[in-house]
Amino acid sequence: MIVNEPTCASAAGTAPRETFVLNLGPQHPATHGVLRVKMTMDGEYVLRAEPVCGYIHRMQEKMGENRTYAQYLPNTSRIDYLSAMTYTHGFVGAVERAARIVVPPRAEYIRVITSELNRISSHLVWWGAFLLDLGGFTPLLYAFDDREMILDLLEGITGARLTYCYYRFGGLYNDVDEAFLRGARQFVLHMRPRLKMYRALVTENIILRKRLIGIGPISAELCRKYGATGPVVRGSGVAYDVRKAEPYSVYRELDFDIPAFPEGDSMARYLVRMEEMAQSLRIIEQALDKLPDGPVMAEKVPRVLKLPAGDYCYAVEAARGRFMVRLVSDNKEIPYRVKLRTPCLSNLSLFEEASRGMLLADALALLGSLDMVIPDIDR
Amino acid sequence: MNGKDANPEIPENEGPLTPGLPNATPSGVGQQAGPALEPRPDPLARLPLPFQAVDYGLKGYHLEAAVQPDQVVWAAQHLDREGFSLDTITGVDWLAQGQMEVVYDYFHPSRGLRAVVRTRIPRENPEIPTLSQVFPGANWHERETHDFFGIRFLGHPDLSPFLLPEDADYHPLRKDFAA
Amino acid sequence: MEAQPDLTQLVKDCSPIVRFGLLDDWLALARANSLWPLTFGLACCAIEMMAAGASRFDLARFGAEVFRPSPRQADVMIVAGTINKKMAGAVKTLYDQMPEPKWVIAMGNCAISGGPFVFPGQYAVVEGVGKLFPVDVFVPGCPPRPEALIEGILKLEEKLTGKRRWPTVKPE
Repeated sequence: MIVNEPTCASAAGTAPRETFVLNLGPQHPATHGVLRVKMTMDGEYVLRAEPVCGYIHRMQEKMGENRTYAQYLPNTSRIDYLSAMTYTHGFVGAVERAARIVVPPRAEYIRVITSELNRISSHLVWWGAFLLDLGGFTPLLYAFDDREMILDLLEGITGARLTYCYYRFGGLYNDVDEAFLRGARQFVLHMRPRLKMYRALVTENIILRKRLIGIGPISAELCRKYGATGPVVRGSGVAYDVRKAEPYSVYRELDFDIPAFPEGDSMARYLVRMEEMAQSLRIIEQALDKLPDGPVMAEKVPRVLKLPAGDYCYAVEAARGRFMVRLVSDNKEIPYRVKLRTPCLSNLSLFEEASRGMLLADALALLGSLDMVIPDIDR
Repeated sequence: MNGKDANPEIPENEGPLTPGLPNATPSGVGQQAGPALEPRPDPLARLPLPFQAVDYGLKGYHLEAAVQPDQVVWAAQHLDREGFSLDTITGVDWLAQGQMEVVYDYFHPSRGLRAVVRTRIPRENPEIPTLSQVFPGANWHERETHDFFGIRFLGHPDLSPFLLPEDADYHPLRKDFAA
Repeated sequence: MEAQPDLTQLVKDCSPIVRFGLLDDWLALARANSLWPLTFGLACCAIEMMAAGASRFDLARFGAEVFRPSPRQADVMIVAGTINKKMAGAVKTLYDQMPEPKWVIAMGNCAISGGPFVFPGQYAVVEGVGKLFPVDVFVPGCPPRPEALIEGILKLEEKLTGKRRWPTVKPE
């Protein structure tokens, strides 16, 4: 299959070129949020796809300068609401780093368990929505069904289904109970055969393979130039994962692999995420086995935090890539500047270059395989 | 199928150990007694950039360099050749000092290094050359920084509003911004 | 003998709408049981809307699982998420494109009043979709549970038909 090469007559120079601009979004079922893409089309071929963002800009960085550190915690869940735990982890970690707060080990392990559960639930939503874009409705229902199990577990300890605010500076505000630990183990046992079923039902489906293999090739060099991270760069062969490159929390104690596929097409990115779900199950099991007893909150964390002046960064591996918080403090109760480095912005910035000359349906498959959550870009 | 594990070149984060765990590294460096953190040998010593080693456990990056505004492209070219990737570009408005700081964050995909390049420009006329010829990913980061601070990136192909409405003429993250 | 009803006045009362009584009730029941929502998930609430349409909470029981991407084919716009000033024009256009009769459910705190993103000096958020066009049902929450959205749809059905769908569940 020839991709990225318009074979239509106008491109061959035998007919005058006539292009039109197709507006995709901001309300569109396949853009996963309010993304507008201005596509200059030559028939079915995309000549130029220019994403226009800002339709869900919610002033997260400006709010950082108007809220105390503790008041900003709910905002962190709403940047990328599908992997809300990891985003809260990024912010909480930055403050703990600056204030030199030591988190008790039990809290660290619970953070890892909940973050990995969140990662699986995020990948399930991606999987269902991606298949919906490609035209298959059933996987969405299976994915949401499995996801409900995770949401029930997390609701039992945090009280929320989507936008948890579970981590606090110094640990957690609530310990987990026996029901959660039992339920987490049961979930791991339930999910492994489900992943096998997904493989047989969807991954090895000939229609999916024809739609994804060879579509939307992204090279490792393109990823590096645009700062793309997460499954996008791992689907291009570069095994870059913040959990291994800049280990945080207790990931250094745990044994897991970073799946990377060298092909660089949409199928590689798809397989990375499916394999990441299996690796997350492995991490959850190990963390449950190693979970120590003890407090879940550090002692003597000041009620009102004032970080010493300077700037501090903390990076985590969110479901979509590298999320980093950069805090600039001037020794007051509210931050001077909160910068959120979000993965989807860098991942989407390469869409314009990567989608040149593709068929429209293939461009949408590429967009789905990049796994966008638009409030992550607009913040 | 499975990729490489942690790269051996990653500088270890030596810090005091959390009680109860043999090898743990706490998410924040505590006040307990432990070996004082040595300044790490500069892994980028051969680059002609004024990099200084930084306490990673406290700051979250390994190296930082403060350069002149007209040197940011030259710094980016060196880091590009070393294999770094552009993490983000951001601005900080130092109203009291009459300056705006532009901070460039870089990360290395295989060596696990984090480098930061900073520069300061005058607040009344904030201009700085663009990085988009070296790192195409800088295009959107610079548009966003222009949206929020009004910093003009000279040579940028299209400095139109990115997150703000198309007709926006305000820069909300400036410290003297009033809605 | 009773006085003859004033026919002129009766005609005036009935015009411009001719009311068919029972047929109106049947139409309202049909509309209430087959509300077709517009896929208008903007932000976090969209995920709970999708969960409400998925198999556990199942909006299909209430006839409302057919999410239409095109406003021309939709009855109810479930505004799920924050309305931005940049997006407000598009939202209004979508509302205008929906054919009558149409209803609006404001789902989530952002659609009701701007949600957690209202602070002194805010420059980008429209504080509630009610500032753009009339809203029929408000479903509070951040995000509201799928059951809350279903309750909102049942409230809309009650608004259409005048009666709440049976059976009603009373809290103990």
